[in-house]
Amino acid sequence: MKNPYRSIEAEVLKVTTETPTIKTFTLKPKEELTFKPGQFMELSVPGLGEAPFTPSSDSEIKETMEITIVKVGKVTDEIHKLKPGDTVGLRGPLGKGYPMIRFIGQEVLIVGGGVGLAPIRTLMYELFHMRDKLAKLVYRGGCRNPEELIFRKELEGWMKRDDIDMVLTVDEGNDTWNGPVGLVTSIMDGIDMNYSRVKAVVCGPPIMMKFATFKLKELGVIDTNIYLSMEKNMSCGFGKCGHCRIGPYYCCKDGPVFTYDMIRDFPGIWD
Amino acid sequence: MPLDKTGLYFYFIAMLYIKRGNLFQLLESLLGDYRVFVPSRKGDSIAFTAFGETEEDYVIGEFRSFEPLKAFYFLGREKVAVDFSPENPRNDKPPCIVGVKSCDLKGLKILDFVFMDDESGDPTYIKARTEGLIISSDCTKAAETCFCTAMGVNPWPEKEYDINLSEADEGFVVEIGSDKGQKLVDDNLALFEEANEENIRSREFNRESVKQHVEKSVRKKNIPPVERLQRVVRKYYESDVWSEESVNCVECGACNVICPTCHCFLLYDQKSESSLGRYRIWDSCMINDFARVAGGENPRNRLWMRFRNRFEKKFDYFPSVADDIACTGCGRCIAACPGKIDIRQVLAKLGSLR
Repeated sequence: MKNPYRSIEAEVLKVTTETPTIKTFTLKPKEELTFKPGQFMELSVPGLGEAPFTPSSDSEIKETMEITIVKVGKVTDEIHKLKPGDTVGLRGPLGKGYPMIRFIGQEVLIVGGGVGLAPIRTLMYELFHMRDKLAKLVYRGGCRNPEELIFRKELEGWMKRDDIDMVLTVDEGNDTWNGPVGLVTSIMDGIDMNYSRVKAVVCGPPIMMKFATFKLKELGVIDTNIYLSMEKNMSCGFGKCGHCRIGPYYCCKDGPVFTYDMIRDFPGIWD
Repeated sequence: MPLDKTGLYFYFIAMLYIKRGNLFQLLESLLGDYRVFVPSRKGDSIAFTAFGETEEDYVIGEFRSFEPLKAFYFLGREKVAVDFSPENPRNDKPPCIVGVKSCDLKGLKILDFVFMDDESGDPTYIKARTEGLIISSDCTKAAETCFCTAMGVNPWPEKEYDINLSEADEGFVVEIGSDKGQKLVDDNLALFEEANEENIRSREFNRESVKQHVEKSVRKKNIPPVERLQRVVRKYYESDVWSEESVNCVECGACNVICPTCHCFLLYDQKSESSLGRYRIWDSCMINDFARVAGGENPRNRLWMRFRNRFEKKFDYFPSVADDIACTGCGRCIAACPGKIDIRQVLAKLGSLR
């Protein structure tokens, strides 16, 4: 019988500092480990504990995996001390991920914020791989300031592509920033899309997800077409430990991607 | 008269009976293959003790033990992984639990739903459940806190056991509930005999009188009927009952650890000199940090919200996903609460709202 509590050993190959509080870790699992966009992993520092993270790398790359992590607590403090050659544990993939098949033939709008841009990178790679099957691809991203914009070079590269309509904004600009200044909700109006049929994906901090969802509804996007990547206290990752329950669902097992209609009636979804 | 192999047909047409002394002989014979636990008297309460290690005042009947049955299948603290090994670190003998009461069997059904799924079942739980043995027994008394009948549970086991014992005269009427139970009887036939009419009558008399006793005490509590509980908890989700009734809660989590259906846990990693251990430890949804995420957001940052969540989980979540209420009426949470919070009173208060 499979032991669902067991982690697979992985080696840290590379550590990239994205911002003062965000690092990307390139990991090489010692056993085969694949994932789909939107699925998450439990990453552990041996003997110090686990925490849930969604990979930020291309899911088609099988040998390595990148995870982008913001330093916010006990486990992430320890993760940020890791160096190339160190050993970590990986448990997963967990959860269901994005239903990519439902995006085929559709206009897809991606709304990302802050460190939420990391899991969205995985989704974007997949959407670029299937770009010829999408009717339209639109990306609206934001973060607090240009210093906190992760993958800036890569994102600016995507903005030059002609198969995507992409705009980034920051809450507060500086002299390196020529783009719009304001919340991500301020760059969601007037997109050339049929909002009533758009498939929208939202990923970011809870407060941003909340207001982006309200904005999408205001624009006419329907609840069943709003895909939210929910952040709850996922621990076991397979619906047993009880921490991440949302109504009749466990965020880890039944999510972490939910359509808004599934969870809108339950209390505390944005907290 | 004792049964022999040629008398096998007996228990198809008649009930079996085992004398108290023979029962302990049977348990003795199980020690080779099982860790055997039997309830025994500990002051005012009844608690499980490892059979055969010390002289104990064993109590097969009476009422539910102090500790919930889950403690043998889903341990308070249990190693679930070592290093990066896929092996299940637990390899001891399976448990044989004697004197299990009806309420705890219902609790086990809920835990089975949680831990025994095909996709990512819990290996240590599944091992203990599938290889273990349950020798249940009828209640012959009720505690003041017992309210099983209000949760649709009778004070005698009806399913989910291997064999059941009903105290009658100087021994027990025996009922077989599974293939494992059948084999246990077949292998030890000499210890059993045929139950006589008087044994059966005294079993029925006892069952009826304990049931009436519980029902009488339940009636005074005005608990809504079991089929209304989910509706009541949902309908009055926004009521003041939650904050009123949680006023005396000190967030100790006793109601969680003592509850036979509470299954929440946390995973804890520990490094020793030679290895890494991952432990599964009981957790409590009454504690502030239970649902808090690393970023600081907490969907239940008020005590009354956590209190309400506990009821929602038992009376709305489980009926929705498993078609079963996750309260057994064992009353342990009432007995354990230092704030004297009484689940019967909370349900009654919700039921009285209009």
